[in-house]
Amino acid sequence: MKNKFYTYLLLFLIGLILVGGYIFIKNTFKSSEKNLEKESALVSLNSDDLVTSFFNDETKSNKRYTGKIIEVTGFVKEISYLNNRITLILSSNTNSYGVICDVNSSQKEKINKLKKNQKILVKGICKGFLKDVILQNCYIDTLTNE
Amino acid sequence: MNKLVSFLFFIVSITNFSSDSNQFIARQGQISFFSYTSVENIEAVNNQVLSIFDLDKKEIAISMLMRAFVFKKDLMYEHFNESYVESDIYPKATFEGKIIDFDKKSEQPQTKIIRGTLTIHGVSKNIDIKTTIKKEKNKYVFTGDFTAAVDDFQIKIPPILSSNIAKIISIKFRFQYEPYEQ
Repeated sequence: MKNKFYTYLLLFLIGLILVGGYIFIKNTFKSSEKNLEKESALVSLNSDDLVTSFFNDETKSNKRYTGKIIEVTGFVKEISYLNNRITLILSSNTNSYGVICDVNSSQKEKINKLKKNQKILVKGICKGFLKDVILQNCYIDTLTNE
Repeated sequence: MNKLVSFLFFIVSITNFSSDSNQFIARQGQISFFSYTSVENIEAVNNQVLSIFDLDKKEIAISMLMRAFVFKKDLMYEHFNESYVESDIYPKATFEGKIIDFDKKSEQPQTKIIRGTLTIHGVSKNIDIKTTIKKEKNKYVFTGDFTAAVDDFQIKIPPILSSNIAKIISIKFRFQYEPYEQ
């Protein structure tokens, strides 16, 4: 009877180690390009408000947005394929400032259909502000009813 | 006569103005760094480096977000930002420098030294960086590589990981500048 108990305990421990190990390995070796498509954004705002917020108070905006998934609506200013990246720039009403979106390669077909000045929705991870707000790993959505 | 003088003055001020704004911008500059050790190789790329190049002053200024470096593994990204460069406190790295003996009339590629100050992790260091400058129509492309010592920027690496991270990091860059209309 006692022997059986120890066998079960041993099996349970082995199971625990395997599951723990799996989780550890998965977390350690997972790629940083994770899929944001199904994750929901923390905030949703337009490019003007985002740029104005960073322009007025960078420290506060960093706390609010940097490192977080955000959703930005804005107008396409430029699309570039420099250095084999897909980069989308959204315009803003603050002079030459804008939003630079480094687009996930899975969005290539959607990008091909975009036109200049088209209104779109971009979801990505906010990295901070230089002259433009920078978003990485972006997924795009065209707004159909406008 | 008076009119002529004021006209000349006007012309001079215009030319002055246009030469003042002889600036070029790269919004998508690329900087990558490599750390090679026998234990592991780490590399990261930042494709959103901002730089402004002033043709008349022969100066360049660079600013980048440490968090915009992309690593192969999430864990490397976390260690880099949270423990080594402390991105919450020092979110940006910058460089400001002057191109020595730059010939702005030359259409040929030229290799020059940029002498300036590199600031990482809140620590500034004087550095000379060799760069190749190519002019393509109205664009300028700067490329080159250099090395930096981790110790110089007071980046502390725990002893347990010191064999995983090189003491000297090699850095590569490429900036494509376009005319900057403010």
